Amino acid sequence: MMDGNHTTYREEIGAYLLGALTDDEREGFEQHLEDCPECRAEIEELRPAADALPRSVEQVEPPASLKTSLMEIVEREAREAAAGEGEQTRAAPPARSRPPLRERLPSLRPAFALGALVLGLAVGFGVAQLGGDEGARTVAATVDQERIPQGSGDLRIEGDGEDGAILRVNQMPDLRGREVYQAWVQRDGMVIPQPTFEVGPDGSGAVAVPEDLSDAQAVLVTREQRGGATAPSEQPILSVPL
Amino acid sequence: MAKDIRDLADEEVMQLVQSGNPRAFELLYDRHGGAAFSLAYRMVGNRGAAEDIVQEAFLSIWRSRLRYDQARGSVRTWVLGIVHNRTIDALRRSMVHDRRRETMEGIEERQEAPERTEVEAARREEARNIRDALDTLPEEQRKTIELAYFGGFSHSQIAELLNEPVGTIKGRMRLGLDKMRRQLSEGYAAGGFA
Repeated sequence: MMDGNHTTYREEIGAYLLGALTDDEREGFEQHLEDCPECRAEIEELRPAADALPRSVEQVEPPASLKTSLMEIVEREAREAAAGEGEQTRAAPPARSRPPLRERLPSLRPAFALGALVLGLAVGFGVAQLGGDEGARTVAATVDQERIPQGSGDLRIEGDGEDGAILRVNQMPDLRGREVYQAWVQRDGMVIPQPTFEVGPDGSGAVAVPEDLSDAQAVLVTREQRGGATAPSEQPILSVPL
Repeated sequence: MAKDIRDLADEEVMQLVQSGNPRAFELLYDRHGGAAFSLAYRMVGNRGAAEDIVQEAFLSIWRSRLRYDQARGSVRTWVLGIVHNRTIDALRRSMVHDRRRETMEGIEERQEAPERTEVEAARREEARNIRDALDTLPEEQRKTIELAYFGGFSHSQIAELLNEPVGTIKGRMRLGLDKMRRQLSEGYAAGGFA
């Protein structure tokens, strides 16, 4: 049965289909829809036009790194789910709507001493706080301009960094499959291996750094053999001082 | 003989995704990731912000894979709807407003996707046809629809921006969509619309 505000709600059909109602307005509208076959019918009639809008957009190539980082997370979660099924009979873990980033990414390998790795990048490197939104900050990376003349990057840290961060790079050379980039976290004279990543044809790439960064000194990047290394084989080409 | 996963229709691929198959998810991304990224990029005008949104949207699909309802429309429409909602959320949180401003000043260049397959060529043709249908609308209706759908503005914000009553804006949205629907159904009655 239609309520007394039917005329008012009917005027909002276009706004509803275009996503132009606020959350509260949408909630009220959807409640009205439950009892109003007339509005439901008109929505179904107009929906093809609204559904066509996203398909009108000119196609833009997404960076290859987007798929790489997405699949790293998905494959890790699939493995965890498969392993979890076997363990469920022993102990059921507490339910979580969304595990923190560090739990969604490949397991960390053991930490190795920094050893002879000299962080010559520190001299002359400035730290720029690029800004951030609610609970997040972005720190600019400094790049060894002699080896990577055009490169740049930044690290997006959620909260206090306990759940890691996302490192993004731009205009980095494509290593053409022989080598990969690898992230590291520097803490208390140690460097802790993080996931490897590649860049797309446009030189952009991204990798999740799952390590707790709350007491880390820097996030670093080196070039390593495919598969990654347990200790850096060169001085960092990119550094994000924390 | 086992069917190659790449030969499966989207709805069949989604069934595999729902069972937690990462290869099916990868195929889903290969088919719709470009369109998803293009939509987010169109709305926020920045590659980095678009990447964040698409990654979150696809992860939400992976993690809530039981929610897809075939009766509700095609997989492509469903995926793009999720990306659209997430982009609107991001825009309304003002997460990306500054980045969008940068792009409007011409700082960033767009990299158009190359046409690789017949399917992609057909989609470009379809995109042109939808833009043509949008262009047939009276200017004020087209502008209102674009501000709402691609700009992420609410009807009251648009009313303020255009200095018009809210009722007028709501009316333009509804009338504009109705006209567009008729244009599309007239133009594609023969060939059908994916």
